[in-house]
Amino acid sequence: MTNTLAARFTEMGQMLAAKPHLLRLGALFSETLLIEVDGNEYYLTFHRGQLERVTEGPSRQTPWRFALRVDGEALAKFWEPVPEPCFHDIFGFVKTGRGRIDGDILALVKNLRFFKEFMALGRSQEVSA
Amino acid sequence: MSVAYEPITGRYLTIEVAGRPVRIYIEEAGQGQPVICFHTAGADNRQWRHIMNDAELTANHRFIAPDLPWHGKSLPPEGFEEEEYLLTTEVYVETVLKLVEALELENPIYAGCSMGGRIALQLALHNPDPFKGFIAIEASDFQPAWYDIDWFHRPDAHGGEMGAALVSANIAPQGPAADRWATQWMFMQSGPGVFRGDLNFYTRDDSLVGKLGGIDTAKTPVHIMVGTYDMTCTPEDARRTAEQIPGATLAVMEEIGHFPMSENPATFRPHFVEALAKMG
Repeated sequence: MTNTLAARFTEMGQMLAAKPHLLRLGALFSETLLIEVDGNEYYLTFHRGQLERVTEGPSRQTPWRFALRVDGEALAKFWEPVPEPCFHDIFGFVKTGRGRIDGDILALVKNLRFFKEFMALGRSQEVSA
Repeated sequence: MSVAYEPITGRYLTIEVAGRPVRIYIEEAGQGQPVICFHTAGADNRQWRHIMNDAELTANHRFIAPDLPWHGKSLPPEGFEEEEYLLTTEVYVETVLKLVEALELENPIYAGCSMGGRIALQLALHNPDPFKGFIAIEASDFQPAWYDIDWFHRPDAHGGEMGAALVSANIAPQGPAADRWATQWMFMQSGPGVFRGDLNFYTRDDSLVGKLGGIDTAKTPVHIMVGTYDMTCTPEDARRTAEQIPGATLAVMEEIGHFPMSENPATFRPHFVEALAKMG
């Protein structure tokens, strides 16, 4: 499961590289993010909007700017081609208590559309909203 | 060769609200039963353009959609540059009543979405007389914020862009991409601090709680509509609200979020036709 998710994030990075509008939106985004799924840590390092690497945790030494923590079932529902209500957006995790976002929220809101569209790239049939 | 103009026309008028003149932009289409239509927080009357371009509906309804002051093409009042914009229930209600009076609307149906839906309930309770009935879309008695509204207005983040990226959480994925993005564009264009100022009353005024039983739906019908993908006013919120109003009706709309008129016009249309029919 953990290897599968790391591979999926890497694949999303490849999809990101083929999205000029996302690279433009993320042109000033050079940060490491923590995505924690069922307690497993994935550190995603972006440089100027490109996903440079995905590093699996656990790690107490990897600095990250903000984190999205969610349970695996909720993330799988989010990645359905047409997600059901409350699983159609990362804020649905927060609203339903299935996940939380913490860290430097200003960095998130400055890059909110970029991050949300990046996360949506995990959908088997992408729905861009 | 003739120009394929849309039937919507736009005009300006000045009314006095809270003791100050405000210049209001309104769009209008159709003839017959007046329906005055109000937009959500952080947006403008373009949310209603699909309804106003619907030839079947405009054949016997006159739709009037204002931009509230500070929104769309309605300027803020003179002196705004030194003001913190914080909308209140009282100012919103006064704006609606003054517009109905200035436009000489006879027995109009009121239709409003989100904060406009909240005001529908306020009017139904406290000022029903000028109206034929109320269509309250994505409306509830009270909605505390599940986010910090101050994020929408600060010097180090673009309130419009982040506001649009946040409200996209309230848009259902099934709508046409063009309509979902046009819906977000209005938030991207919203003036600085306006969305935050709208949410001020929407997320803090709980004055309707426990009082909705006083609405007389025999006199003025109340129809509440809610989309299943709305995470701000959820179907549970709308149902709780409808159950407190004797005689109120409720429509739960599948594949729709918080912006039914603009995010998915075709799916919304039959629900709105039903709502108009319920107004008598």
